[in-house]
Amino acid sequence: MKNPMTLGLVTGVATLALMVGGVVSRVRAAETRLREPDRAQEAVAVADHAEEAYCTPAFKQVLQRVLNACGLVGQESRRGCQPGDVKTFASIDDDDFNALFTPLVKRGGIVMFEEGKEDVDEFARQFVEKKWNDRKGARYFFIVARASKSGTVDKNRSLSHRRANSVQYFLKEKTNDPDLDSQVGMLWLGSEFAQLGKDYCETWENSHAGKKCDTDAINRSAFVSWVDCRL
Amino acid sequence: MSNDSSRPAPAALLAIAGSLLGLAFGAVSTMDFAAHLDRKVHGVTCSFVPGLLANESGANACATALYSPYSSLFRRTVWGGVPIALLALGAFAFFLGFGVWLWRAKVVGVPQSVRIAFGALGLTPALASILMFTISVTKLGSVCKVCTGMYVASFLVAAAAALVLKGAIEEPDSGPPLLTTTLAVAALLGVATFTPGLVYAAVVPDFGTYVAGCGKLEKLEEKHNALLKLPTTSPTKKAMIFVDPLCPTCKAFHEQISGEGIFDRLDATVSLFPLDGACNWMIDSERPVHAGACVVSRAVICGEASQESRAVLEWAYEHQPELTAAGKVSPAKVKELIVARFSKTAACIDDPKTERRLHQMLQFAVENHIRVSTPQFYLDGQRLCDEDSDLGLSYALRRLAPEVLP
Repeated sequence: MKNPMTLGLVTGVATLALMVGGVVSRVRAAETRLREPDRAQEAVAVADHAEEAYCTPAFKQVLQRVLNACGLVGQESRRGCQPGDVKTFASIDDDDFNALFTPLVKRGGIVMFEEGKEDVDEFARQFVEKKWNDRKGARYFFIVARASKSGTVDKNRSLSHRRANSVQYFLKEKTNDPDLDSQVGMLWLGSEFAQLGKDYCETWENSHAGKKCDTDAINRSAFVSWVDCRL
Repeated sequence: MSNDSSRPAPAALLAIAGSLLGLAFGAVSTMDFAAHLDRKVHGVTCSFVPGLLANESGANACATALYSPYSSLFRRTVWGGVPIALLALGAFAFFLGFGVWLWRAKVVGVPQSVRIAFGALGLTPALASILMFTISVTKLGSVCKVCTGMYVASFLVAAAAALVLKGAIEEPDSGPPLLTTTLAVAALLGVATFTPGLVYAAVVPDFGTYVAGCGKLEKLEEKHNALLKLPTTSPTKKAMIFVDPLCPTCKAFHEQISGEGIFDRLDATVSLFPLDGACNWMIDSERPVHAGACVVSRAVICGEASQESRAVLEWAYEHQPELTAAGKVSPAKVKELIVARFSKTAACIDDPKTERRLHQMLQFAVENHIRVSTPQFYLDGQRLCDEDSDLGLSYALRRLAPEVLP
């Protein structure tokens, strides 16, 4: 190519074509990748409730059964479970049932009631409110009510039922939370299942701190705790 | 003598060398830009020797320049815009051709009026470089190596142009009329400069279908009124932003939407989402992503009482390096820095009610099943895709909420 101008023109046009071709090729390659699923995006975790180490398969199994059988999942018409239900669905003996909740010793606490009463006194109100407010990442709040062995089985079933309800009513009144029913799981165990030993007076925080605590007193109660498990 | 005649004239040599250098750096910049069209995360080359070093992931001056609004044109129409480096590619291709002509014609063989036109137009890349350098220094606060390569290339071409111009104006007038020649050369330069950009705009995929495909908030309201309203000057559209005050991407995003005048057009609600296991159960407390972010988040909440939440958040973004360093020492150190600036937050930061409110914000994130990453930006509940939060922001906002664009 003798003509310098032509050579310059060809060089310029060829370079431009080369550059444009490279850019088009790069854009097309990006378009191809665009259609492929982004595995990095798929792997990103989704916000979820807390899952603490104590959420063992056995613990979660019991909780799941409570949720299914006691009205939190799917059965809007029913609230709570009674002793007979627990024995049936938990398939677990008293000590093992209580042991499941041991890891919650720092998280939960025991609301104490006067003998034969289900009233949530001022100490209990403050205690329940404190525990409720300490939700952090938990999904479910459990109320497990009991009655001491004094009195008949039927009377104690009814009493523990009322105690569980009292705590729940207090929470409803206090929080005005429309989603409360889907968060609170209740069990009332009467006096015939999973009674607490006297050692619970020392090891668990309760609403009557400083007051006399014995086996009867600790079972006139409702255990309350948020549960940091994904179910 | 034969050696002298075969050796390129200095002006031709400068024009060819400058153009080749400009093409090399322009190609690197354009290729990096085009790679982002797949909406995935890519490293950005930042080297004086492109190709010798692997792309750098994360923040560097070239990434800052690439993601800045100054790296491309027509961002509202084309996703990411048309990269400015494409204009450089076209211009340097033109000047390479011209340099070859000067070389083969031994400079004086090129008509005098054409050389004057080249001399004048050859200065334009340098003028553009001065403009871009000024923007880099004043707006971005850094100068990228690839950009510097193009600046140097521009000045080499300008030096060639100046030499050619000097020689040409000392000669008596000859060749075609100067005005006609200048217009013709300018037209050719314009065609060369804009052709790559036009082709690019024509082949870029249609991103319209992707923009609204990143989900919606399931719940727009937090039942305890835990979320924070941030004051803005002219709110036109409801926006929900999940942020971590110590997250560099949140800072960059906030600076981008503030800098482009978008933030002040939002009716902005913030849900704090610190990536710190001290308060966020979704993060391993042994390995916090942003240690200290829980304390800073509580301070932002505390700012509400004195209508300083936005001020606290923006101060935290501004002082992110110091706060991050303090977070690695202890939460108390972070609090110390905050209280030194916002003394009114002192008691509130450790108040259990503040902690509870932060947990309610995190529960709100759980209820909405958002991804554990920040920032996340929703307009009337419609999520802005992460991929659209930098290069594609103007394009996406034009489709999702044109009223927030100034």
